[in-house]
Amino acid sequence: MDRLGARAAASDGDVVRAVLAGDAERYAELVQRYRDRYARYAARMLGSPDAAEDAVQDAFIRAYDQLAQCRDPDNFAGWFFLILRNRCFAERRRTKREAVADVSQDELPGPGRADRDAERSETQQLLARGVSELTAEQREVFVLKHVEGKSYDEIAAATGATVASLKMRMHRAYDRLRAYLKERT
Amino acid sequence: MREFHPLVKRWLDGELTADQLGAELAAELAEARALLSGVDHSPVTLGHELDQRVMAAVRSRPARRWQRAWRWIGEAHELRLRVRPWAVVALAAAATLVLMFAPARQSRAPAAVAQAPESVYVKFVLYAPGAHEVSVAGTFNGWDTHATPLARADAPGVWAATLSLPAGQHLYAFVVDGRRWVADPTAPGVDDGFGRRNSVLAVTPRGARVS
Repeated sequence: MDRLGARAAASDGDVVRAVLAGDAERYAELVQRYRDRYARYAARMLGSPDAAEDAVQDAFIRAYDQLAQCRDPDNFAGWFFLILRNRCFAERRRTKREAVADVSQDELPGPGRADRDAERSETQQLLARGVSELTAEQREVFVLKHVEGKSYDEIAAATGATVASLKMRMHRAYDRLRAYLKERT
Repeated sequence: MREFHPLVKRWLDGELTADQLGAELAAELAEARALLSGVDHSPVTLGHELDQRVMAAVRSRPARRWQRAWRWIGEAHELRLRVRPWAVVALAAAATLVLMFAPARQSRAPAAVAQAPESVYVKFVLYAPGAHEVSVAGTFNGWDTHATPLARADAPGVWAATLSLPAGQHLYAFVVDGRRWVADPTAPGVDDGFGRRNSVLAVTPRGARVS
């Protein structure tokens, strides 16, 4: 294997250790590796690709600043996901505080929103708005299970919640989404 | 709020098939199917500039103390030495050790390696492990991205080229794989007015420096 091939196959742990040893440029490998993997999660959690991009960027910078605290460098992906998740939850709390009473953020026109909506079916748009009205915890489990295709066990491992509590959140989400769709169709 | 039947929720969870629900739940099953048909699985693509913004933030972080010391070694410094025969032998041995054991560094500021009255040889070095080709473009070569290719150095991932530059201030940037502009992370930079940063190098008859 040539030098470039060896570098391409470097494990997350190898790259994290190299960065911690002073080779900061190698952090770009982790950015390239995970920038898109969690983009859809962040976009569905925050309601827009633009907000997702800001969140993913901030999470990468925060992860770099705290890299020495990554206890298991070989599981950088899982550790990074938790940082991004915290960022998404914080952003949700912030936008909730700033949201104007009884006017849904998702019903307001925004830059690029018309273009994005044109690509989605009416059902998809309706469900997306319903999902945006769930609590952050309900929304997360719905996104991870039905958008990302994770099992309850995988979600539990990633978030630290129990399978039972995840199911409870999800089942409440089903009922709320059913009511939301029924009111609007 | 009317709740889904527990069996329908288990179908939504993927734990039951439709056949296991029974005809009396057919209407609820149709609603559940409609709900899942609205799930948007389309991928989300983030902007290409995200990587550059993250790495710009990474490079702006202050280096740790030993990194600063290592960087200082790579920069040009004026030294006044009184040479003694035994010292020449000792220095030669030390230089050999340094060359044998020095690891590849992140990047180096251009270093003056020889002097002439009006021009100075400046060595440009970039650590770009994934690159297939690297060149340096700047005011000294008309920003020609092909004029000054860097060659692979002995250390893995390190690219280098030595140029003779006239005295004065020069702006430059590295070009990786013919399309990605990379400012020298160890040199001061200035905005080029188009959203990128160029590095600044000052050349005097006595040497070159990046600050």
